[in-house]
Amino acid sequence: MKDWSKYILAFIITAAMFLTAFYLTNTINNARLADIRSVQEQIAIDLLSSETQFELLGNLDCSIIAQNPILSEELNSLAERLSFAENNLNPKNSDVERLKKQYALLEIKDYLLMEQISKKCGTKPVSVLYFYSNQGDCADCSRAGDVLTYLRQEYPSLRVYSFDYNLDLGALQTLISLRKVKADLPAFIINNRAPVYGFKNLDEMQTLIPELKDLATSTVETKL
Amino acid sequence: MDLGALGVYTCLFMGLYFEVFLLISFFEKRPSKKSDAVPRRFPTVSIIVPCYNEERTIAATVQSLLALEYPKKKLDIVVVDDGSTDGTRTIAERFAKKYPQVRYFYKENGGKYTALNFGIEASHGDIVGCLDADSFVAQDALVESVKYLEQDPSIMALTPVMNVYRPRNLLEHMQAVEYIFGVFFKKMFDNLASISVLPGPFSLYRREVFRRVGIFRRAHNTEDMEIAFRMHAHGLKIANAHTAYVHTTVPKTLRTLLTQRARWSQGYLQNSMDYKYMYGNPRFGHFGTFTLPFGLAAFAAGLYIAGYVLYNVVATLWTRAFTLWATGIPLHFPSLSIEWFFINTSMMLFLTVAIFFMTMTAIILGARIAGVRLHAKSLAIYFMLFGFVAPLWLSRAVWNTARVRESVWR
Repeated sequence: MKDWSKYILAFIITAAMFLTAFYLTNTINNARLADIRSVQEQIAIDLLSSETQFELLGNLDCSIIAQNPILSEELNSLAERLSFAENNLNPKNSDVERLKKQYALLEIKDYLLMEQISKKCGTKPVSVLYFYSNQGDCADCSRAGDVLTYLRQEYPSLRVYSFDYNLDLGALQTLISLRKVKADLPAFIINNRAPVYGFKNLDEMQTLIPELKDLATSTVETKL
Repeated sequence: MDLGALGVYTCLFMGLYFEVFLLISFFEKRPSKKSDAVPRRFPTVSIIVPCYNEERTIAATVQSLLALEYPKKKLDIVVVDDGSTDGTRTIAERFAKKYPQVRYFYKENGGKYTALNFGIEASHGDIVGCLDADSFVAQDALVESVKYLEQDPSIMALTPVMNVYRPRNLLEHMQAVEYIFGVFFKKMFDNLASISVLPGPFSLYRREVFRRVGIFRRAHNTEDMEIAFRMHAHGLKIANAHTAYVHTTVPKTLRTLLTQRARWSQGYLQNSMDYKYMYGNPRFGHFGTFTLPFGLAAFAAGLYIAGYVLYNVVATLWTRAFTLWATGIPLHFPSLSIEWFFINTSMMLFLTVAIFFMTMTAIILGARIAGVRLHAKSLAIYFMLFGFVAPLWLSRAVWNTARVRESVWR
């Protein structure tokens, strides 16, 4: 083989290996996004079903309603997937951005439904609306997220709704202005009380949510 | 993609390119098998054994030379003692008295290259070989080597296949696999006519080499590398006798291993500076356009990747520790998900796996060439340890070179 042709052949084979690796990564990432989409569709159907069930039954039979609209597990699973996708894919990926918007909408709908059920059926869910930014302007947001993730693991019935404060989504911006959440992140709205700003460690967060005492921990599970 | 990762991808591309290039060379010209043919004539051979405080291994080294299947009258063993202060002298003199083939010389300590040059002056064989006093040759190693020289008169120097002698501890097992990997490299560089070092354990030279290019030089304590560079500069051919085996002992402790390898690596850097005109120069064939540039690039890539990994590990541990402290979250193992969704499938991982498999292929091919069995234990130790240990000697070599500090032998 001519000397130069060996150099070129080696380059072509190496480049082909790089392209194969790129193709494999891209294919798997697309499969991930498809998986997120399918989970979101399932959650959307479940939410719609719960809303319809609520409309049909009103407050006639709270025991049936209380059995079904608990979507926190699915939403948590979706949150984990989205967070993974956001960290491992290009965060500016338009698919990820769109999925985040859909997720935020589902969270808002779940939150509103939970509020309605709470009023009509007298349940006492514990919820935290958590507003963060991942545009590099909130050094404490990642740690605040860790505290909430830990609390959610400890108290499976704690409902944490996390929102990207800067997400360009009308419904989310309406929620932000209705609840008068300032851009001083991280920000928390705990059980519909006034927003709390700044990083809170585990102890401070537990103090801010005294209702946690009444929630079951991950080792002992009780009904809402 | 951040700049750090871009650097890693560049290193991975170079690493893959290097291995692909060598594998193409392998399939282009596969090494021949050992034949029963004998040389038509046996040239006179002088084997120089330079030694300095080698009382533990000198006897076995000389014994292995005496056991060579080669006409006794054609073989001259020249033991050059470079001022030993231990029992080396007593042992070597005993051999010289008992065997007329063995000659013993004692000289003031002046470094290995002076002992080799002393041996060249004191010997007369058409072929001059050297054997470090910590290595032992296979009985047919010399006959096998002579066959190569006879078949191709243009070959001016030969390197053998080197195996680690009875590896026992972790570092020796790691080096055993590394040497097998080296067997593949050496043969492929032979295919490319670009062998860059003529190691102490049983490299052979036609005597005219020293007439044409001169004798050994100090060469930053890597005279075996410098003479190979010099031979390439003079267009002299170096080949690999892949059916001639030599067993060598290797450093047993981390300290001695780092000292030895830092010397080799520093020698590579300093000799590269001395012969920089050969870099990228097609006049010197693949040695100039492939071996030298990729050798230096591998040096830089090894350090870069080690630095990148170290930085990321330290940064991650620091962030985790700080987060635990700041958040007050008790120390706990994060829940591990076994779902496919969360498995790392980054491009970097795929490329690393590709490099791993190509390295494994090269090691397996090296084991076949060397005729040795690969042990899973040695392989596991190699893949677990080498990435941690090699950057230590690379960085030490760079540090010493930057400080213009001479390497040390032991």
